[in-house]
Parts: sequence; structure tokens; C-alpha cells
Amino acid sequence: MEKTEWFQKAVQTILDTDEDAAKEIAAKSLEAGMDPLEMINQGFTEGIRKMGDLFERGEVFLPGLIVASEAMTAAVEILEAALPAEKQQEKKGVIVLGTVEGDIHDIGKGIIATMLRVHGYEVHDIGRDVPIEKFIEKAKAVNADVIGSSAMMTTTQIGQRKLEQALKNAGMRDKVITMVGGAVATDHWAQRIGSDFFGESPKDTIMKLEEFLK
Amino acid sequence: MNAKERVMAVLNHQKADRMPCFGANSTVTYEQMEKVQAFWPEGHGNGEIMAKQAMAAYTVLGFDAVRVPFSQTFEAEALGCMIKPGRAVDGSEGIPGIDHPPPFKLDDSIELPNDFLSRGKIPELLKAVRILKKELADEIPVVGGIIGPFTIAAALLDMVPLLKASIKTPEKMRPFLEVAEKAGTALAQALIEAGADIICCEDMTASPMLVSPPTYRDYELEYQRKQFESISVPKILHICGNVDKIVDWMGQTGADILSLEPKASGKLAREKCGSDIILMGGVDTAKTLYLKDTHTVIQECEKTIADGIQILAPGCSVAPGTPMENLLAMVEVAKTH
Repeated sequence: MEKTEWFQKAVQTILDTDEDAAKEIAAKSLEAGMDPLEMINQGFTEGIRKMGDLFERGEVFLPGLIVASEAMTAAVEILEAALPAEKQQEKKGVIVLGTVEGDIHDIGKGIIATMLRVHGYEVHDIGRDVPIEKFIEKAKAVNADVIGSSAMMTTTQIGQRKLEQALKNAGMRDKVITMVGGAVATDHWAQRIGSDFFGESPKDTIMKLEEFLK
Repeated sequence: MNAKERVMAVLNHQKADRMPCFGANSTVTYEQMEKVQAFWPEGHGNGEIMAKQAMAAYTVLGFDAVRVPFSQTFEAEALGCMIKPGRAVDGSEGIPGIDHPPPFKLDDSIELPNDFLSRGKIPELLKAVRILKKELADEIPVVGGIIGPFTIAAALLDMVPLLKASIKTPEKMRPFLEVAEKAGTALAQALIEAGADIICCEDMTASPMLVSPPTYRDYELEYQRKQFESISVPKILHICGNVDKIVDWMGQTGADILSLEPKASGKLAREKCGSDIILMGGVDTAKTLYLKDTHTVIQECEKTIADGIQILAPGCSVAPGTPMENLLAMVEVAKTH
């Protein structure tokens, strides 16, 4: 099978949201001597990128994107295991992501985490209902470049403001880029609390982040 | 016309003296709590305080209906979900939610408990409706809130497992949707018996923001339809977000009123659902009512009215920190139509 055929098959498993097929193609491509890195970048990652575009255009819905992300992750795990250490990809930046305390919504954040990983970032997803101190601790531990917080309710949104304050108090605010997301966030809100930017969608977040990290 | 006559006139497709204004969802705010001296968290679980807070929609805001409850936890708690109190990080009292972990997994079996209506805080909710009915019966309609099948199922299984099941093993959702429908229907009937004039079914998880439109058509629609067939009073169906892709089917559920957020098109809803359906909506609760000023609120109200809205309403649940003047501005707009 030609290289491009392997890539196309990988893309198709993601578009089909078929985890079993994705894992099978990943394993078989290794047996056939394909380069795991190429399979990740031009196959599975390309597939989830396409799904992301379809999602942004309203042609694919959240459940499809969630299941496709899982299929991609499972396939990439198989390929990464076959990757020699010196060929591990260089990361564009280290990101800590979490949903603020009191808020148990984490679907949107999960999607952003996946899409950021696809675009070459090292993402540490610290979950939902996360106390402010945890964001700070994790950011220190992994030497984060970016901290992203999500809040889906006006009653929990205040946590995003508190995070800004806590970063200042810890003397870390100038060392990281902060981004806010969630159903109730806006550009105006980001400005008001002193966050660097509001990411409206995965695409918007990635575009703005690349600007900031230039 | 008093509020009740006004709302009933619109429901009966007769001419009202002006456009009614009330919330399909909770409209309680901190300022109203101060005015009526009834506070959270008590208002979420104590029937008397709940009634007092609901009444503020009428006595303080001048809305055309009162509405209970103020959270989406009643059926879920009675079916075994853990409840997360509404206290926010800054110590203020907010809206309780469903806590994790969820009580069920997709392969578990589930039944509606026989004592469902006496579980959790449901008895207090019914008490609140009885009080409202007794005090306001002839002046203003009492709206009783229930939760839609898909949203209850999401509480029972947690959102992500449910969304994944909607693609991978959709038939496994059925037992949960079925019990969820029965739970909502049982609560609706008890609310009507207690005095509710209108039932509002909130089904946020059924939104295309979360599930795909084919899932709504193939799985949620039949349960919603069945539920509404068993409810004798006028019914509001509220689904959050842009519902353009499912509004056609929302119109086939048997709902008398569709409650839309401004993100959804009133024009399209009218086109797809015909002239019999009544549309309510008006202002984005987070981005406008909570954050902006009266000027913006008025503009947005006028825009949605031009789009075909017949009952002016906050687009979704009102954030408790929403400035009172923004809610009062909505009533003023309604008075001019």
C-alpha cells in the first residue's frame, strides 16, 4: 500500500469515529514499516483536524468529536510507543488547562485539550472543579507557558478572576499567558479580569495562542 | 387584563392588552432576595421560602408569571444523583447542580422508584406550588418546572458517557430516557395537582450544542411527545442554545410554547412549526442581561420581538447576580407591544 493510502485510511477511521479501526490501522501501518511520526501527523492528526473543521462548521456535533478524539488518542498511543526517544516531537508550548472550582462542566475543555495536543502543544488537563491553588501548583511543576481556565456558569466564572489575582500574588503572572473559555466568557470578560485572551472555539483559541507565542 | 388573563389570552391565540413577560426558567436574583427577604440556599429546598422567592417575579419585577423551582436537580436527586450545593468560590449562594460521580453506568438497569414523588426535595417543591396557588391563583399563572428526558439521563449517566453512547450504542440510552420521561411526567402531574397552570420542561442536554440533531429526532422526540401527551395544562419546551437544526421536531412534541434563546431564529421556528406554536424568548441571559446595560437589553428585546417572539422572556435561567434594572427594562419593553 502506498504511503498516502495509509494516511487516507487513518483519516477515514477518525471521520468514521471508529476507534477499533483506528487502532488496527495504527498497528498494521507499523507492521508495514510506516514511519509512526508520519502516520501521526499526516494520518490521525489530519483526521481530527478535519473533524474539528466539520465541528466548527456545524456539520459534526459534539458526540462525534468526542468519540473521534478518543479514537485518535488510542491510535496515537500505539504509534508513539513505537517512536524512538530522539524522534519525539518538539512541543510548541506547555499548557495547563482546567475548569474552575465549583464548576463540573468539562466537555468543552476536553475538546480544546485534544485540539491543542493535535496542534503540537503539551497539554496538562487538570480536570474539572479545580481549586485555584491547583492551577498554580501544576503550572509551576510543569513550567507552563500557558494557563487556560474554563467556566460555564456565571456563578463560577469568578474563579477565572481569582486565578488572575492568585498568579499575580505568586509572582507568576508575567511568566505565563492566560486564556479563558466557557459558555459565559467573552472578550470583554477577559479584558475586565486581565486575562490575555478569550478563546471562543478550538480554532479561535489556537489562532490567538499562536499569535501570543510568536 | 391581569397577568393571568394576559398569558391565557396569548395561549388561546386571542388578543391580549399587551405582550406578557415572564421567565420559562428561573428568574431569581440576589437583589430580589433582598427585597423579599428570602434567600438561598433555603429557597432551593424549603417550600415556603421557595414560594416567597418565586413571588418576587410578580411583586418586585412585575413579570406575568411566577416560576418554581430554581435548579435542575429535583428529579435527578430523587433518582439517586448526588447534589452539589450552589455555594460559589466567593461564598455567595448560587444554583445547586448535579455532582459526580453519577449513580448509573450504561449497562445498569433502572426503574422509577414507587416513592419518587416523596423523595429528595420534591415534597417542598409541591408545597411551594400550593402556596403560590393559594396566594396568587386568580392574578397570575404559576409555572411548574420539570426536566426533559435527555437532561435527566445525562445526570444519571454523566454527560460524556451519554454523548458517547449516542453514537456508539444509542439503544442503551433507551431505558434511561424512558425512566427520565416517567420521572418528569410524574412530577408534572403532581405540580398540576398542586396548582401549576403551566408546565415548563427544560431540556438543555437535548440542544444541538450537545447532541446531534438526528439523535434528537430518533431518540428524544418520542419520549418528549409521550410526556407532553400526559400533561393536561399548557406546556413550554425550553432547549438552550441555537436550536435551529431541531426546531422542526421541537414543534412536533406537542408543546404549546417554545422558549428560545436569541441564538436561535424565531423566524425559522415560525416557518418550521407553523402559526399555532407560541414563541417566547428575548435576551441572552449571560452576555446581555448579566453583563450589559438597559439600553442593550431593550435593543435585544426589540430585535427578538421583530423576529416573531410573542412572550418576552430571558433566554434561559437568569444569573443570580443580574442587575434588577435589566429585568425591569424587559417589562417596560413588553408594555409597549
